[in-house]
Amino acid sequence: MGATLELEGINKQFPGVKALDNVRFDMAAGEVHALLGENGAGKSTLIKIISGVYRPDGGTIRLDGETVLFNTPREAQQRGIATIYQELSLYPELTVAENIFMGHAPRRKVGPVDVLDWKAANTKAQEILTSLHIHTLDVRRKVGTLTVGNRQRVEIAKALSLNARILIMDEPTAALTEADVEQLFSIVRLLRERGVGIIYISHRLHEVFELADRVTVLRDGQYVGTKLVSETSENDLVSMMVGRTIDNLFPKLDTEIGKPVLEVRNLYRRPMTRGVSFQLRAGEIVGLAGLVGAGRSEVAQVIFGINPAESGEILIDGQPVTIKHPGQAMNHGIAYVPEDRGTQGLVRQMRIRENVSMSVLRAIRAGIFINRREERSLATGMIKQLNIRAYSAEQVVNKLSGGNQQKVVVGKWLASKPRILIMDEPTRGIDVGAKAEIHRLMSELAKEGLAVLMISSELPEILGMSDRILVMRGGQVVAEYSRAEATQERIAAAMMSETAGNGAPESETVMIDESETA
Amino acid sequence: MAVTERSSQLTKQSNPIVSRLRAVVLSKEGILFLIMIAAMFILSLLTDKFLTTNNLLNQLRLVTEIGLMALPMTFIIITGGIDLSVGSIFGLSAIVMGFLWQDSGWPLELAIIMCIVVGTIAGFINGLFIVRVGVPPLIMTLATLALYRGMALGVSEARSARGFPDWFFDLGQRQFLGIPSQLWILLIAAIMVGIILARTPFGRGIYAMGNNELAARFSGIPVRLYKLVIYTFSGFMAGLAGYIFTSRISTTRADMGTGLELDVIAAVVLGGTSINGGSGSIVGTMIGLILIQLLKNGLLLGGVKGDATIVIIGAILILAILINNLVQRRTGGD
Repeated sequence: MGATLELEGINKQFPGVKALDNVRFDMAAGEVHALLGENGAGKSTLIKIISGVYRPDGGTIRLDGETVLFNTPREAQQRGIATIYQELSLYPELTVAENIFMGHAPRRKVGPVDVLDWKAANTKAQEILTSLHIHTLDVRRKVGTLTVGNRQRVEIAKALSLNARILIMDEPTAALTEADVEQLFSIVRLLRERGVGIIYISHRLHEVFELADRVTVLRDGQYVGTKLVSETSENDLVSMMVGRTIDNLFPKLDTEIGKPVLEVRNLYRRPMTRGVSFQLRAGEIVGLAGLVGAGRSEVAQVIFGINPAESGEILIDGQPVTIKHPGQAMNHGIAYVPEDRGTQGLVRQMRIRENVSMSVLRAIRAGIFINRREERSLATGMIKQLNIRAYSAEQVVNKLSGGNQQKVVVGKWLASKPRILIMDEPTRGIDVGAKAEIHRLMSELAKEGLAVLMISSELPEILGMSDRILVMRGGQVVAEYSRAEATQERIAAAMMSETAGNGAPESETVMIDESETA
Repeated sequence: MAVTERSSQLTKQSNPIVSRLRAVVLSKEGILFLIMIAAMFILSLLTDKFLTTNNLLNQLRLVTEIGLMALPMTFIIITGGIDLSVGSIFGLSAIVMGFLWQDSGWPLELAIIMCIVVGTIAGFINGLFIVRVGVPPLIMTLATLALYRGMALGVSEARSARGFPDWFFDLGQRQFLGIPSQLWILLIAAIMVGIILARTPFGRGIYAMGNNELAARFSGIPVRLYKLVIYTFSGFMAGLAGYIFTSRISTTRADMGTGLELDVIAAVVLGGTSINGGSGSIVGTMIGLILIQLLKNGLLLGGVKGDATIVIIGAILILAILINNLVQRRTGGD
């Protein structure tokens, strides 16, 4: 059932930008081929051309040696090319089986009428899932009640129900927990054995090495090269992507660690924050590790006053304070760069200037009015300081790449001149170059005496950046390591197991949807 | 305002004055203004009674109440909300004023103040439930649309108040400095509210909330307080409008202002405020308000029959919105 795919000389022009310029790509049956590049390098455009969303302006596509041209995604699907996008495209109110067979459900005759045969669909859906070694997923459950990991499995099953021979996965692990990532990998390997070709897009290089056979790198819409994974290294790939060598992805500077600035004692906000205590000192970067659903973002949002604490104490400089809403947290010098920049971090329809000033509107007034000149110079200053790639402060944030959008969020919070900076997944889904810049910035800020709390699901980031590492599970801090004693294995163990770590959680501890993560 | 700036980026290579002018003309408000001028020109050909200072000022007098309520409605719709209860608050406030003065023997000055206080409280209650209980604005104000109207009917017991002293009509029926008195209030209120929306942290917060309420909250903007303020302000303006209206027509009746909320909303959305929230301006709302009234009046004076007038106005409203969408898309305005 395998298929071969060759693309040659692909061009694609959008108004004002050449998205792809003479790009080539090829894959053999049963190959996992990783596609790498910074945001804006043209990966998304390329996969949209392969999957029939866009038509190329020039170049040829050959499927099994035959030249093809897809006008619609449906045509590509019929030829066995399926795509699993970053934003999953399932219907939350429908069941697993209904989603899998959306648009091509089995039918049966009732008298003269053709009706959908949901019984057969359920059976078939179960068969597909079983063939992927997924045994715990009930096909009658509504998709909206599933974890992200399980929804993705439904997407994969849906693709297979269409007899997909080439599966495109766009950052499939971006929102997954470690356990889900492992299961995804085993599914990918299973599919490869069956001869399904997989185009795999990810920002996480170690995944490429773990999974892919070959890797193709794009940069600024141009083809840079294709390599066998076994014959390349991370440094090679990074320098291919950015066109320069980055010696150290995590430029952590040594800092002098000062007095405790923030301390929380026995903080409660059920169900996700259950007695959290820790200290954060000036000049220190504390990494907060844990699985998705361990309650890390929730603690941050309690401290920032979005969901105020039910009980427990927050101390700033040793003084107990009340934080009932974000305004109060900001008055105490706390800034929070949220996890989801699209929905929580930015008003994307507004300009860079308006977003950057949003945290300091009251501070930059002239009388009752916003001081426009100060606002503009604040924004242009941030564009310069953070190296935001935009033609002016008046650019609408929506038009920026992910990395640059993230820098705008960071800029907004730096504008508030915080003493305590909480960064929630600060580099999720952004390209390698922007990631390094944000890491360097965090490091510099700590050196200037800021206290930084960094929530991250990427262990290398946690290990690379933190002076101290806290691990959360079930709404509690279950382990703490100094930079010296921390290892990937130790942290991962504390994140996942019930026994590792210092303080084992009480028996009442519930993980979100245990049956799901199992 | 926001739109004006947005289109100015596109033409920034050319002469700054020309491009700025171009941006103003091609903004939503600019296009609407041109449509209004065109409509006035055509109507003035139909009848020579239309384009006279007297007639125009008189028409503006008639829309003052709607205009006052359209100011807070612009804020509310920019945040993605709606206030359907303004017509009922308008009626209730006026009825309470008439009742206190005529039946309870309160001094009229105090009754006028109570008229505005009742409106403000009614708006505050809307805001409180929307913010605290989380009732969607559409549902909450649909409920109070009925509730406040019912209270007005109950208070008035189908009787009307009349026979106000002469000074009471100064605001609604006389002129000040050659212009209908109440127009001064609308003019000053519109300028103040327009500036607040365009230039202050509060106004910026309103736009931010309309585009992405969560991000606004995460940025420390007091979203709930702002909402409470705008719904309360809406009630305040409805109360004030109720007083001005009573002063203009000399009497109160329990059904006054029925359906008025639709006229208010029509002026706001015709003025370019997005019903989905996030964009809009006071200038647009004022042009929308005037355009609708001039069409009504001009067609009437031009001898168009009542039913046909409504049809023509509806058609012109749709046309205006289509033209604007077309222009905004061509210039990449949105």
